[in-house]
Amino acid sequence: MSVPEDRPVISLRDVSKRYVKYDDQPMLANALKLRARSRRSTLLALDNIDLDIAKGESVGVLGRNGAGKSTLLQLLCGVTAPSTGVVSVRGKVAPLISVGVGFHPELTGRENVYVNGTILGMKSAEIDRRLDSIIDFAEVEEFIDTPVKFYSSGMFVRLGFSVAVAADPDVLLVDEVLAVGDFAFQLKCFARMQEIRAQGTTIVVVSHNINVIRGFCDRALVMSHGQKVFDGATFDAISEFYNVVGREAKEDLYGVGDLATHGADIESLSLHHAGTGEPVLHFDTGDEVLLRLRVKATTDIANPVMGMTITTESGTVVYSDTNLMTPFPPLQTGEIGEYEMRLVLALPSGGFLATASFHSADGGNSVLLGRAVPVTFYVSGRDLTSGVADLGGSFRRAGP
Amino acid sequence: MLRELWAARHLLVILARKDFYVRYRRTVLGVVWAVGVPLVQAVVLALVFTHVVGIGRSYAASDHEYAVFLYAALVPWNYIANAGPTASTAIVDNVALAGKIYFPRALPVLVTAASAIYPFTIGIVLLLLMSVVVGSGIGISFLLVIPGAALAMLFVVSIGLCLSALHVYFRDIRYIVMAVLSVGFYLTPIIYPLEKLQDSHHVLRDLLAAGPAAGPIEIFRAATVGSDSALGLAVTACLVWCVVFGGVGFWLQCRRDRVFVDLL
Repeated sequence: MSVPEDRPVISLRDVSKRYVKYDDQPMLANALKLRARSRRSTLLALDNIDLDIAKGESVGVLGRNGAGKSTLLQLLCGVTAPSTGVVSVRGKVAPLISVGVGFHPELTGRENVYVNGTILGMKSAEIDRRLDSIIDFAEVEEFIDTPVKFYSSGMFVRLGFSVAVAADPDVLLVDEVLAVGDFAFQLKCFARMQEIRAQGTTIVVVSHNINVIRGFCDRALVMSHGQKVFDGATFDAISEFYNVVGREAKEDLYGVGDLATHGADIESLSLHHAGTGEPVLHFDTGDEVLLRLRVKATTDIANPVMGMTITTESGTVVYSDTNLMTPFPPLQTGEIGEYEMRLVLALPSGGFLATASFHSADGGNSVLLGRAVPVTFYVSGRDLTSGVADLGGSFRRAGP
Repeated sequence: MLRELWAARHLLVILARKDFYVRYRRTVLGVVWAVGVPLVQAVVLALVFTHVVGIGRSYAASDHEYAVFLYAALVPWNYIANAGPTASTAIVDNVALAGKIYFPRALPVLVTAASAIYPFTIGIVLLLLMSVVVGSGIGISFLLVIPGAALAMLFVVSIGLCLSALHVYFRDIRYIVMAVLSVGFYLTPIIYPLEKLQDSHHVLRDLLAAGPAAGPIEIFRAATVGSDSALGLAVTACLVWCVVFGGVGFWLQCRRDRVFVDLL
């Protein structure tokens, strides 16, 4: 495509998107009650966004759920129009949003490649030419003439990704798709996306996975409540993102609820700063933290114990521990107990989940009594560290 | 809008073909059903009206003629009755795709009208066979089925453009269409000829001829059993319906195209 280098490929001017939330009641019933209008409410999903993205840039978009990330992507791929302002995207846009959209379960892999490829703007002749490389990349040679409903979810995703990247777009929009498929294929996808990037394709990535954005984007935006609160280098954006989520997460300080009640009601699970005792959800690497579990016994518990697990947002267990061998004192029916685990957060930047369970120990075995709703917390780590744990490495020259 | 639709023509063809094939997947006989169902309908009509009941004689020259007369109306009616409701809900029914990627929202409407061409064509071929075997043969006038089929498609597209856009806002459309169709079967000259009403109920005849589906049906009759005196009126009326629905539909699609998805 002959796109002049000096003009941005993507440009948003004063873009706002307002959704009208309609009532679920039938229209007629509402009209009869004469209050239909008053029950409509609006939601400002994007608030006055200005954005320019130049050709060949790859830009990440960070934000909590509901910050407006998906709406932004929808505007970029033209699925919906802004309420006010102007969105202009030049060139062929391929959304890599939920790959395999448009796959019909009854059709074979080959037929679906044609349907999906055409949806993505390829001509039949182009698909003919690229069919072999699409099939090859997706590693589904022997199943290509099988209906895709018999595919494993991994095969499904691989074929979808393979078609989408074959479409050779000017702008590639990526939304959480790389979280699927096995690890080997993820690496392959990354490699392919790096190639696409090297070809000068403009890429916009929306992901909760900080590592994807860190590894892929030179620049990132941070969205909060429909506004662009930060736009700059990826590293700065990531730390700004954790500041924002730390502030915003205040309302969810306590995980309240019980996922399995068999003898104890979990009243709450919370994280406290060990120094101040304040309940918080945003920490720095190396902070000392108290995980506090509040339980009400509904039976007599002779040997109460707690279990605590910390996982990454994608579910990898970082740390799990229990006091099974050193139970707490007995708890009577109706009595409330508060239990604590103290630990040091040797974690890098990222979102993590703390989950807790309450058991009664019975000679080395444990009987599950209750399980708390997980609490999400965020860590601002040291620059340039990544992984599941921060082992506190330091560098020096050791030789002559 | 037109330019976008034109750009999406490959997509239209491939989606229409997909629709057709998917419908007969997992059946033992496969695409044979596309011929089988209308064939059974045609044979039953032919048998019932030539051997069982003598109702046809009061409407047509003979019972044989009546079977053809009836089938000539059923072929376009089946097309309208199958594709019409699907086209009217096409935008909402394609929400999974529409939410992820942009294509002109009117496209699924065209896809529905297009994918139903396959069974429509089969019906026309069967009508041809029936005219030859059961009826009194065919002449060059049989070629009139082509404008007849074109008019039926134009009608389905016009009504689909209009109703599918309204359906996004008023989900009642789906049920209204179903209700109108079941009444429409009797208000459309399918089982009776308009000519019979010409002397006794002049106004009623004109009203029925002005019904939207009468146009294609009367052309199909002209192609097989001979034209009705109401042919001109019926075709003109159908074209007017097409212009009105199509015009409103096109205007709605152009204006609301990009915001439909917010309401799906």
